[in-house]
Amino acid sequence: MIDLRNVPIYQIPRKGLTVWRLYGVIGSVITLFVATGVFLSTQWQNWPNYIYYIVFGVVFLEAIATIWLIPNIRWNHWRYEVREHEIEIQSGLFVVKRTLIPMIRVQHVDTAQGPLLKKYNLSNISISTAATTHTIPMLISEDADLLRARISELARVAEDDV
Amino acid sequence: MSRKIYKLHPISAIINFLKGLKELIIPIGIILMSRFFNQSEGMDFWTDLLPLIIIGVPVLFYLISGIMKWLTFIYWFEDGELRVEYGLFIKKKRYIPFDRIQALNYKEGIFHQLLGLVLVTVETAGNTDGKPEVELTAVTKEAAMQVDEEMGISKRKARLIEEDVGLEAKNKINVEETGKLIHKMSNKDLLILASTSNSIGVVIAGIAAILAQFSEYIPYDWIYEEIRMFVQFGIIIVLFTIIICFLVAWLLSIAITFLSYYGFSVTEESGRIIVTRGLLEKKKLTIPLNRVQAIKIVENPLRQLLGLASVTVESAGGGAIGEKEKKMILFPLIKKQQLFPVLNELLPQFELDVTLTTPPKRARSFFFRMKLLWLIPVVGLCSYFYYPYGFLSILLIIPLILLGVWQFHTTGCAIKHNQLTIVYRIISKVTFLVEKKRLQVVVRKQSYFQNRRKLISIQGTVMSGITGATAKVSHLNEDDADLVLNWFEHEKKAKPIE
Repeated sequence: MIDLRNVPIYQIPRKGLTVWRLYGVIGSVITLFVATGVFLSTQWQNWPNYIYYIVFGVVFLEAIATIWLIPNIRWNHWRYEVREHEIEIQSGLFVVKRTLIPMIRVQHVDTAQGPLLKKYNLSNISISTAATTHTIPMLISEDADLLRARISELARVAEDDV
Repeated sequence: MSRKIYKLHPISAIINFLKGLKELIIPIGIILMSRFFNQSEGMDFWTDLLPLIIIGVPVLFYLISGIMKWLTFIYWFEDGELRVEYGLFIKKKRYIPFDRIQALNYKEGIFHQLLGLVLVTVETAGNTDGKPEVELTAVTKEAAMQVDEEMGISKRKARLIEEDVGLEAKNKINVEETGKLIHKMSNKDLLILASTSNSIGVVIAGIAAILAQFSEYIPYDWIYEEIRMFVQFGIIIVLFTIIICFLVAWLLSIAITFLSYYGFSVTEESGRIIVTRGLLEKKKLTIPLNRVQAIKIVENPLRQLLGLASVTVESAGGGAIGEKEKKMILFPLIKKQQLFPVLNELLPQFELDVTLTTPPKRARSFFFRMKLLWLIPVVGLCSYFYYPYGFLSILLIIPLILLGVWQFHTTGCAIKHNQLTIVYRIISKVTFLVEKKRLQVVVRKQSYFQNRRKLISIQGTVMSGITGATAKVSHLNEDDADLVLNWFEHEKKAKPIE
């Protein structure tokens, strides 16, 4: 009985990584704007020069982290598996979290899609229990719909008692 | 079943009205203030009247809507459901099956006590905004009892239909109504409760906060002068004052405890737990036993020393049991030896007697590592701003490590049959008991460093209130942790329906 648990099988599609990177780009551009604002006010108010270096250093680091580092680690860690009696989701950045949800606890399943996701034909799927909500992000839309249908079908089989 | 329609007591119109007024207090206050300050300016008749209209219209509105709500509000019992209808233009109907009711609460405000009435609130698992599903603003005590009885009747019917209910249950039906007293708190218990509760600290903090508010009115120069004199009187008087302060805090804490817990008693009646408490505002809470999701036994250090504990029940009934409390306090204070038989009688599905799986020795440093990391900026800032003495804050390392080691020794988890037991400590020791069928989700967490030392944290969530209640056991052996996940996974050979 004592065996180490296997990692869930399925990964997020490669396109998902691209979208995460795009999110990073958008975020970095926004901070770049803020940084430019600070830069202009340093010029205007004669604030010390080092603020200028700090601010752009921050922007640079943020860009590296949110465009390259974090999406990569995240994408590597994300795994999911939908079995007959439970759903297992693995996620995390520094702390790898693995969540086990029995089918009988699933209350409802949603898929959601923002404009950027729509462009890439991806969807987020979120699974709600009576107490918590768990998301599997960046799935190819058709897969997400199939998965949602399957979860709700499997969940209906088992009886619930809360 | 005959369809007899009930109405609320007329006083509920006034209560509704006052409740509406409560929301208006701030705007009214602002308007009155502004009038007060604008007195000097010349005003004609209309500007004079305007604030009155602004106040008057909503007040009138609330008065009418209060009366209307009372006039239109009816409730009755039919087909094992509590049915409520109200509303003048938009008719609202709400039917609640009795076996979906999570909690039935009674509350008596001062208004209610004068007229011998009660406020009844009914909760189901479905409430998301923390408000009860149905609120009978004011009904007579008999009517309140009737809700209770109707619920009992329909529950009993349901139970009779089930085949596997043996003779015991039928006997219970004959004996019912009286209810079995499970636990009652004497005044002495209340004293201990007040003395060992954390609320003493809260009271002291409260006094400090109030003093801080008034600090600008305190004549510091005068006080310094006094203190100079004071010190001359010697250390004894200083000590004496401190003791007085603590005494006041203690007395206040006792007063607060008595107000909310006076006459605390727990009874069991036909499958429900009934908790009664309160001095000025009497509260009576009802929770069906089969709605209990998990129980939590909390021992703060002082109480642990004295062998005392408090027990709370996580129920699916949302956060509305009391506006402030998210979970129901089952026993505010109970001796640990007493707890075992009492709990066994009330909730026999829970087992207290388990052997814990504890984290391995190599996990010990994990319990204070993070805390020490947090300490670095604190020590840094203290040393920077209060140079020579600020550096002494580094001494905080010692209590933090001790706390960590203590947490390490407390932590553990156990699986026995269908029950998961999680024991952990923040400062108080918490024992969390939950059945497998109540667990919503189990999460296994492993950080990079934990991965290197083959350690895993496990966290379980049950339904309780809006967000659920979570218990976490940290830094277990990988094998032990995965055992919990395997246990939680569906057993293939088991019966299809548990």
